[in-house]
Amino acid sequence: MCRDRVIDVGSEWRTFSNDKATKDPSRVGDTQNPLLSDGDLSTMIGKGTGAASFDEFGNSKYQNRRTMSSSDRAMMNAFKEITNMADRINLPRNIVDRTNNLFKQVYEQKSLKGRSNDAIASACLYIACRQEGVPRTFKEICAVSRISKKEIGRCFKLILKALETSVDLITTGDFMSRFCSNLGLPKQVQMAATHIARKAVELDLVPGRSPISVAAAAIYMASQASAEKRTQKEIGDIAGVADVTIRQSYRLIYPRAPDLFPADFKFDTPVDKLPQL
Amino acid sequence: MDADSDVALDILITNVVCVFRTRCHLNLRKIALEGANVIYKRDVGKVLMKLRKPRITATIWSSGKVICTGATSEEEAKFGARRLARSLQKLGFQVIFTDFKVVNVLAVCNMPFEIRLPEFTKNNRPHASYEPELHPAVCYRIKTLRATLQIFSTGSITVTDHVRQLSDASARENNHLLDSRFCPKTGPNVKAVASAVEQIYPFVFESRK
Repeated sequence: MCRDRVIDVGSEWRTFSNDKATKDPSRVGDTQNPLLSDGDLSTMIGKGTGAASFDEFGNSKYQNRRTMSSSDRAMMNAFKEITNMADRINLPRNIVDRTNNLFKQVYEQKSLKGRSNDAIASACLYIACRQEGVPRTFKEICAVSRISKKEIGRCFKLILKALETSVDLITTGDFMSRFCSNLGLPKQVQMAATHIARKAVELDLVPGRSPISVAAAAIYMASQASAEKRTQKEIGDIAGVADVTIRQSYRLIYPRAPDLFPADFKFDTPVDKLPQL
Repeated sequence: MDADSDVALDILITNVVCVFRTRCHLNLRKIALEGANVIYKRDVGKVLMKLRKPRITATIWSSGKVICTGATSEEEAKFGARRLARSLQKLGFQVIFTDFKVVNVLAVCNMPFEIRLPEFTKNNRPHASYEPELHPAVCYRIKTLRATLQIFSTGSITVTDHVRQLSDASARENNHLLDSRFCPKTGPNVKAVASAVEQIYPFVFESRK
């Protein structure tokens, strides 16, 4: 046995009991984030109680919480921004943690120092989603960030170079569940669309097309063959693809439509009645 | 593996970019007013002069630095640069033609087969990078040749060959002499493009349709 007592560096359990009590019941400092900041071993001045702690105007004499952690304040700012962005698209905690780690690595390397921190944060978020196996499109990250897609793309490439990592290629299946549930399509249609997209890529009917456009076209085909029809515009809105792009990809997969559907699919509209664009 | 000599691949040089210096301050306003075929970009501070004979567009800065783009071969680039210097001379500037350097060579090559990009990327992990959302081509970098190849799924390949600027400050003040020492990378540039294509051919051949 090496230790029988370990110091719990988690959050103080009494911090959440009262909302805005005059007393700050916290007996210790904030939660320690040892992985990220340089250790939060700062001193905080509690709110005064006696008369001596207030100056003439009634303000507390000893101001508090000004210099939390002098170094890495930009990093803490970025972490806050990352958490905000992740919240907007409901990303789980593990992705946020991974993003924070990536950002710290990039920040310490200083090779991307000139770039806006927000751009680096957005790119780190993108990479983290990819690495966790649930990629988000650049456009989705764009939607929650104030940075343009171009800049996020540039930072993304630079970060990969700086950290000397690479990411897996995106596949059509990665986005199916998200797009289909956003469109309110039933499970059958989603499975059919996944099958169509995968088959189309296997048969190489869509060379050079982005997997997202192929996925969108597959969803269109599957939804048009089922009872839950969706227009190109709706799908384009959700996927972030232009409807002409969906049209182009659809034209490529249309000739082989009968081969692409899964064997046990129930057609509401038969294959030959599928819209031809 | 299949050598390049078996299949005759046409490598077309589409663009040669070169820089040279005139060693004198140029009055852009005067060039804009009196020169022929010029566009004055005042907000950026440069003048574009387009030549007809070798089809060249030159960007002229007031410091005397000139960048020539649009030439289809290195000799043409030299030609055009010289012509440009001459036309500046005619406008009255004391032009000295120095520091001529070919900076970038762009070439296009077409493979007779289509290429499967995801497969190609997986096989060539560190060198190749493919982001379908950002650009439809795979970007393959050859460090030794300083070449960047963009490989499209249709089989066409775009090669750009960068020449790092040498700190060749020992430039001679002759305006009509074009010493081969000034463009030391001229020959190798086009050869580098050819060797880059040769290098990539076997990899691309593996991932063909």
